[in-house]
This record gives sequence, structure tokens and C-alpha cells, in this order.
Amino acid sequence: MIVTKSWLNEWIDLEGHSTEEIAKTFNAIGLEVDRVHTYSIPEKIVFGKVLECVKHPDADKLNICQVDIGTSTRQIVCGASNVRAGLDVVVATIGAVMPNGMQIKPVKLRGVESEGMICSASEIGLEDISQGIVELDSSIGAFHLGQEVRENPILNDDLIELELTANRGDCLSVRGVARDLSAAFNKPIKEYNYEDNDEKRGIGRILSLHSEKDLDVSVCYKALDLKDLKLPLIVKLRLAQINENRETDIESILLYTTHASGVILRAYSHQYFCEKEDDVMATVTLSENEDGYACVRGKSTASTIGVIQYDDSKLQESRGVVLLEASYVPPDIISKKMADHKIEAGPMFYKTSRGSEPELSGGLGYCIEFIAAHSASTTFGGNIKLSYNVKEKIVIINQQEIDEIIGASIDKGIISNILKNLGFDISKSSSENFIVQVPQFRHDIEHKQDIIEEIVRMVGIDNIPSKPLVLKEDNRLEDDYFTYKKRSVYRHRAAQSGFFESVHFVFDEKKTLNTYGFETTKEELELLNPIVQTLDTLRPTLLTGMLKAASNNVKNGYKSVKLFEIGSVFTPLREESSNMAFLFSGAIEPESLANSGKPQEVDFAAFVQKVSDVIGRIELREYTTQHTLSHPYQTAQVFMNNQAVGELFRVHPEVEKAYDLPTTFMCELDFSKIEYRLKTAQKSSKYQASFRDLSLIMPQDMSYQSVKDVIQKSATAELIRFYPVDKYSDESLGEHMSLSLRFVLQSEEKTLEEEEITKSMDTILDALKSELGIGLR
Amino acid sequence: MKEWYDAIQEAQSVERLEEIRISVFGKKGVLAAEFVKMKKAPNEEKATIAKELNTHKANLMSEFTARKIVLQTQELQKAMQAEAIDVSLFSTNSQAGALHPVMETMDRIVEYFSSMNFAVKTGQIVEDDFNNFEALNLPKYHPARDMQDTFYFKDEMLLRTHTSPVQIRTMMNTKPPIRMIAPGAVFRRDYDLTHTPMFHQIEGLVVDDAGKVSFANLKFILEDFLKYMFGDVEVRFRPSFFPFTEPSAEVDISCVFCQGEGCRVCSKTGWLEVLGCGIVDPNVFEAVRYKDVSGYAFGLGVERFAMLIHHIGDLRSLFEGDIKLLEQFQ
Repeated sequence: MIVTKSWLNEWIDLEGHSTEEIAKTFNAIGLEVDRVHTYSIPEKIVFGKVLECVKHPDADKLNICQVDIGTSTRQIVCGASNVRAGLDVVVATIGAVMPNGMQIKPVKLRGVESEGMICSASEIGLEDISQGIVELDSSIGAFHLGQEVRENPILNDDLIELELTANRGDCLSVRGVARDLSAAFNKPIKEYNYEDNDEKRGIGRILSLHSEKDLDVSVCYKALDLKDLKLPLIVKLRLAQINENRETDIESILLYTTHASGVILRAYSHQYFCEKEDDVMATVTLSENEDGYACVRGKSTASTIGVIQYDDSKLQESRGVVLLEASYVPPDIISKKMADHKIEAGPMFYKTSRGSEPELSGGLGYCIEFIAAHSASTTFGGNIKLSYNVKEKIVIINQQEIDEIIGASIDKGIISNILKNLGFDISKSSSENFIVQVPQFRHDIEHKQDIIEEIVRMVGIDNIPSKPLVLKEDNRLEDDYFTYKKRSVYRHRAAQSGFFESVHFVFDEKKTLNTYGFETTKEELELLNPIVQTLDTLRPTLLTGMLKAASNNVKNGYKSVKLFEIGSVFTPLREESSNMAFLFSGAIEPESLANSGKPQEVDFAAFVQKVSDVIGRIELREYTTQHTLSHPYQTAQVFMNNQAVGELFRVHPEVEKAYDLPTTFMCELDFSKIEYRLKTAQKSSKYQASFRDLSLIMPQDMSYQSVKDVIQKSATAELIRFYPVDKYSDESLGEHMSLSLRFVLQSEEKTLEEEEITKSMDTILDALKSELGIGLR
Repeated sequence: MKEWYDAIQEAQSVERLEEIRISVFGKKGVLAAEFVKMKKAPNEEKATIAKELNTHKANLMSEFTARKIVLQTQELQKAMQAEAIDVSLFSTNSQAGALHPVMETMDRIVEYFSSMNFAVKTGQIVEDDFNNFEALNLPKYHPARDMQDTFYFKDEMLLRTHTSPVQIRTMMNTKPPIRMIAPGAVFRRDYDLTHTPMFHQIEGLVVDDAGKVSFANLKFILEDFLKYMFGDVEVRFRPSFFPFTEPSAEVDISCVFCQGEGCRVCSKTGWLEVLGCGIVDPNVFEAVRYKDVSGYAFGLGVERFAMLIHHIGDLRSLFEGDIKLLEQFQ
């Protein structure tokens, strides 16, 4: 919503209030200021009059004008096509510096002296209103020749753009904004009272209005015989300021008066509602169409009230008998209809759906007077109207309720004043209660708290002292908090281990996911309106997003990419859960002296170590993934405390190629299965631990897992740990290899004797021999 | 004896000094020989000689010890010198990763409110119309629904457009008093320089008996919170409108880039909008069947906080796992 200071001043006396103060007040009362712009016309630009205008002898497009600038007459050469004798114009005189920096000096144009410039609107820093020079008229107020243009408040105006919230339809007009300001400044609003002249021909002679049924709308009609309408400068200027324009003069004036008064105004040709061409009597019928909208009908549907006017009912030319219509429909009703049955809407729908001004005759009167003032029209007396049954809205509230919600005590007199200035009727109030009758234009007020909001914004939130809340304390740190904390702990650990945290949209591309074998959201549960095709489903995995990110980073020149993410993933049934994923691509460390500038690429062992550094002790078992992102021979299922928690793999060489990646490893885990609890210290033995190494000869294709299982099953209590330390194969071993394992043995009761150790090791060897047929080297 | 004093002084290595020690103090050393000689001296002279010899012994020993320290120090010095490196070759960057600035900002916010004993509730991303709109006083035809262009699913479920449904679900499942925040991802169909289809919000809700929770309480906690997040800034409340609160306000802080002077980021106003808040609308309480209660609620965009705190310009780069951006937060 755009207003200007001079426009506002037509509805409320702003004498003594600076634009800065007005803007600050708007912010304080909840009308957020988006932009303030000052049209500042330079000095030495004055009002003038073209006395004489003749063609330049040597230039087709130039005219030589004699211009009266009050103190003297100057000869000015002007190239505008609309310059002519008798025109009141804006003249930049010698010495003026234009907003674009050009200085006005005496010049010769094709041999003719020119002392100044006749200006267009944009040349003096105003909005561009048309081709050619400004044609002044009385709509900008009185001026005299030679007067500085910057002294004119309409031309030298301040513009304020407000960002209104959706509930404040009542402020979608200059009058409405002025009304809110009047409460803040405690100053009355100026009302325009249109007085009808009884001697005129009455509208009843040319119009009858019928309604086919009771409709939730109000309409009001006036008529005039339109003649010699001239669009005043002020309308052109102000429509340009609010970034609007209309094709015809009458449409421009309707828009202007609607923006000023808030009342939705339309003009129809009288003829449109007449049965025959020469009929004097027109009949306007209100009826409901098949979608439940109230319509104005003549020959056919002229308009849908509150929504749109159809082209063939619009005025073809700005003369003849015209019906002016003001209409109102409650915003909740029209919004609901639009939500149920969407139809094409005109530019005024924004206003009607948020609540236009319901007081129709005032706006209609303002419009008709404005047209009369700028044309030679005659108006018909009286009006014809139809109103729906408006329910009175009354809110009863007492001082204590107000004080409790605000948290401060507000003086009763102040409250009364605020409500009165905002147009609320509180005359029926008792000593205990405010009985507030809500004006019809305040569509947003229903509850006590709505009334309190009005008081709060007028008192000013800054004037309410802050107060700490006293609340009975319970322990509120429950499950979700600990889940959040767990995420936080693991995220910190991952970052500390060298991984960068990435956050991706929970959307991904269905096609890509399906190509790689991921199951996506079921068709009947799928997104209805994805934003782009590449984000058309909910992600079932974090892996694809990370691959894309890694690929981009490699393209940006990173030789080593380490990423992690904890985020939501979804099953085909759209069940949400949380996964944690890691990616490690390329060089294992930065280039440095230590690696002579040639760091190795990440390998399986290094990646597993990194992941384990973050999440703790893990066990890997052979695995085949559902998806095809993994290298089939370097894929593991990850176990923690004997529970499967996810998968870890080298990325398939084809996938690496598709994403332009060097050697890349990934891991994805079900985050809910990763442990988060306080650790308990285990009792540790005071006695020395013993170490034994065994080198086993086993077939190369025998998995270590089977060896491990046998050892775990057969070992005595003294074996506390064992792990592979060396793997060796050569020709002499043929299809076998030697795997060296280190065993750690310890007792809680004593230092182990040599025999006991040997006995333990023998048990293991026996088991390996009998179950796997393998033994020592 | 004099020559031994000189010998100690002249010794150039610990080895040489050791030789001298053996020659002087050893069993067959000079001092031992002198003491043997003394035994043959007349009795009346013995005491004098013994005293003289003991003085020499003590003096030589102290000279010896002093010289040894000097020589040992010299040798260590030499050995260390041989190990000299050019430290300037080894300047390095951290090899640690980094937390995502949005997540890190979210952590800080959650930290503040959990230390104020707000419960943390995370809720669900796929929501229904009732929890996301209807219960929040946003009926189907409400113009405020325009503000939130929604992602829908084919079965009329939707992606939550704010974290407010978490508050509705919490109120449906628990009795007041309530004191909670809901951090998490939210979704709107918007994708340009300043909008991404997914972003993060944190909303807060406090509910207690009627008459207990006031606008003044809301002001108190938000002023304190914003100072915790942004340091010494001015805080301004402007009346505003949200369907789920009444009265409502938007909260500005003095611009952190120009200290309120007016710059490009704050559009020359000197203020940055950071929060929305208000007293819970009675229609919301009605929807969750709460009676005789009062409460306040507030909500903020985590990306906006992160961008203001860390001076990040491009919102979209936050969701691309871009190391160029992330490594700045090491």
C-alpha cells in the first residue's frame, strides 16, 4: 500500500508532523514501512506559461516558445510534441541543476537562442507519467508564475510504501491509513460529506434495481451524464506513484478514488442495462450464479461482485449516461467462495478479499464530486442501494483482562480514547466493562485479544516494561532433547574427525534414485506439486545428495572431500527416520612435505578408521546392498554391539565415473541405532596382560569372519582381545595365505602362567583345525 | 696442584674432563698420592698439610663440577643445533572438518532455551492440514494461507510450512503448563535468491493458567535471547499480524552490519527483522481444547540468524555441501 504525505493530508491534518515522524509512527502501530521516497525538485525550477509557440525554421521537431516565468519572459526552444501556446508548464531556468546532474545554461539550438527548458515529469525527478512536457492544471492546487515548483506540496511530495499484514484490509486506502494515523496522533479524520442537490433529476427515473434473492453483498448506484472529462494531472501523478495505470480516463479516476476512499467503484454504461437502444429505464438485476457468487446482470453478466467486471459492460467512451456502482462483500465470504470455486479475478479482488470499505455512499459521493469537478457532467439526484443484513459485533472486556494479557496496567481513559479514535463505539460501557461495538470496516476484530492488540499497538510495545515469567519448574528435558543432544554430540565428533557437515533438501530426483535401485515414495503418496523435476520425491537416502555435493566440490578443485550429514529420510510409506552418512573421496590427506606432495588416495582401512573415530567400535561383515551405488567386492554391513546399524562401501567405479569422482567411500547408518548413553567404567584387571601371535595358513578365499567366529566361540575367558596384524602370501603358499593374529590374554585373578596361556591358545587351534581345517604355518 | 686447576679449565670435552677426574681424584690419582706422602711428614705438620690438601680437594671438585656443566651444556647445544629445522616450512591448516553454520546456529539457539528449561520437541515433517493450518487459526479460505505456498502430497498430507504443528501436537498430548521449543526443517514452494524450498525454524511456546502469561513476559525473554545471540544490540517490537497470535509483533534488532546507521543489508532503515511473536490466539487454544489458559509463542528463521551472525550472502549455497563455504567455519 502506497500513500503520499500530501494525499494523506487530504484526510488528516498533518501540519507539524515530519515524514520521518509519520514513518516511525506507522512502524510503531503495526503498519510496517517498506520504503520512504522523497520527490525533491531542484531549485530554480519554476511555474511558467507558454505565451507563444512557433515552429523552428530549421528543425521540424523543435518549437520556439516565449515563456512567462513571472519575473520576465524567456525564449525557450522546446522539442516536446505537446507544447503549445496557453499551456501552464514547469520551466527549468538558467542555473538550475537537474536531478540527472545536467546544468541549465543559455544555449543556441540550430541557431536560435534558448534560455531554459520546459520539463517533463521524469526530468524533474517525478514518476514518468507520459510522453512530453507536464501540462499543469488546478488539480495540484494554486500556483503563480515564477513560483518555485518545490514549494508545491503535491509535486514535491514524500512517498511511503507500507507492507500491510493480511488482516488489515481497512488500511488498503489512503482514508483507511489516515484513520489509523488519527488514533495514533489523537487527531480527527477529515470526512467528505457529499451533498445531493434536490433539484436534479432523480436516479429513479433511469434505473431500477432488483435482487433475485437475499445476497451477502451491498451495492449502491449513482448516475451521471458524463461530458468533457479531462484527466487531471494529480491523478496521472499519483497513479504513477502507486505503480498503476488504466487505459481510459474514467477507469483511471475510478482507481484513483478507490485508492483514496477504499470503496470498490465501477462504472457501467447505462445502455448496457437497457432492453432496447432508446430505453430511458435501465434495470440492474442482482443474482447468484451457479458457483454461488453474487453477480450484477444486465444484457448479460456485467460483473461478479467483489471479483471482476467483464469487458463488455465497461464504458466504451468517456461520455453519455453512466452508472457508478459502489459495492461491498464481506472478505471472509468472498475468500471462502474463491477457495471453493476458483474463478478469474480482476485487480480489485486483492482489496475485496482482504476487506474493502463497507461505507458505500461516502466513497461514491467522493468519486462523483471528483468527476464533476473535472468535467462538464451533470449528475442525477439520489442513489439506489441494497444492503445485506449486517450483524453487529460486540466485544465485552474488562480492565483486568486487558492488564493481564499485556502484563502492565493501562489507564482507563487512555483505553477509551484509543478505541474511540479507531472508530469503535464504546458508549454503552459500564463502570466494570468496556462494551465495544466493532465498526463494520474492522473485519479482523472478533475476540477480546483483538481489542487488546489495538490497545497494545497504540500504547506502543516499547512502552510496556519487560517482566520475567514466574512458572512452576518441572524437569522438561525429555526424550526429544536427548535425541537433539545426541545429534549434536555426533556432529561435533564428525567435524572433529575431519568431516564437513552438509545439509541437503529432503527432496531428491525420483528417476536417479530408481536408477540406482532405491525404493521411493509410493505413487499414491507422492508429492503433488514438486518445485522442480530434480526435486520430485522425498529422499530415501542421504547418499545421492552427498555424491552430488562431492562431485561439485571436486569440480571446484578439491582433491579431498570429506562430508557427513544427519538428516531425515523416508520409506516408500513416507515414514520418517533419521540417518547419518559419511563420504570420503580422493586424497587421504593434503599434499605436504611428509608425503612429497603425493598423498595416497583414501582406502577401505582408512575410511573405516575415520567412521569408527566418530561413532565408536564397529564390526564389519560381508554384505550386498539393495542399491547399486556400491562396489560389490568392497561392501560391508556395519554392526555395533551385534546390531546391524548400516552399510559401508566403496563407491562403484561406474558411479565414480558418472559423478567424476576419484576413489570414494561412503557409509550410511540408521541414526536411531547408534548408541547414546553415559558410559559405565568396567572393572579392569590389575594383572599384567600377555600377548601371543599366531600365523595361520588358510585358503585365500576363506573369510576372516569365519575364523573370527570360531575363535570367539572356542576361546577361554582369559582371551580379552584379538586382531589381525599381518597378511602374507607368496608363490610357495599357492592358493593359501598366512594371516597373523595377535591375541591378548589377561586374568582378573592373577598373572597368567606360561602353561595357562599355551592351553588357551591350544583350545583355539584345536577348534580352528576341527572346524575350518586350518592351522599354524 | 696449580697445573690441575689449569687442566680443568682448559678441558674441551666431557671425555677429557673425565680423564682429569681420574688423574686427580682416582685411587691412583694425584690427591691420593699426596695423602700418602703426608703420612710420612712430621706429626706437627700433618694437620696443616691435611688441611691444605682437603682445601685443594674441595676446590678442585667444585671447579670440576662447574666445568662439567659448562661442557655438557655446550655439547647438548651442539647436538640440538644439528637437529635444526626450518619451522616456516610447516605452517598448516586444521584438518578438522566443520559444523554447518545453520546447524551450529540452531545449536546455539537450542542451548539458550534448553538452559531456560524449555522442552525440545521435534515433531514430524509430513503433516496434515489440521495441525499445520486449521488448528492454527488458518482456515482454508484465509488470505494468510497465501503467505505460505505449500507442498502437498497426493493424499492431502503436506510438508509442514512452519514448526507450529509441533506446538499443536504437544498441546494435544500434554496438559499445561507448557514451555517448549520446536526446532526443525520447514518447507515452502519458493526458490530464488532469498528463498529455498527447505529452511529451518525454531518456534517457542509457553502456556500456563489464565492471567499468568503476558506480553511483558514475552518481551523479557526475547530481549534477553537476542542479546545472547547478537551481543549488545537494540531490540524493537513492532505490532504485526499472525493468524495464530493476538496481539502479535515483529521484532527487529539494530543492524549488526552498520550499528543502526543504515546500510544496504538493512535497506537503510538501521533495523533488521529477526523474529515474529505474540500472545496465543484464543482460537488456537480452542482448537486444542485448552480452557482458562494464557500463553505466548514466537518463531524465527535459523538461516536468517546464521546469515546475519556469519555474514553469509547466498542462501542457496548453504544447501550444496559446498566446502568453500564450510571450511571457513573450521
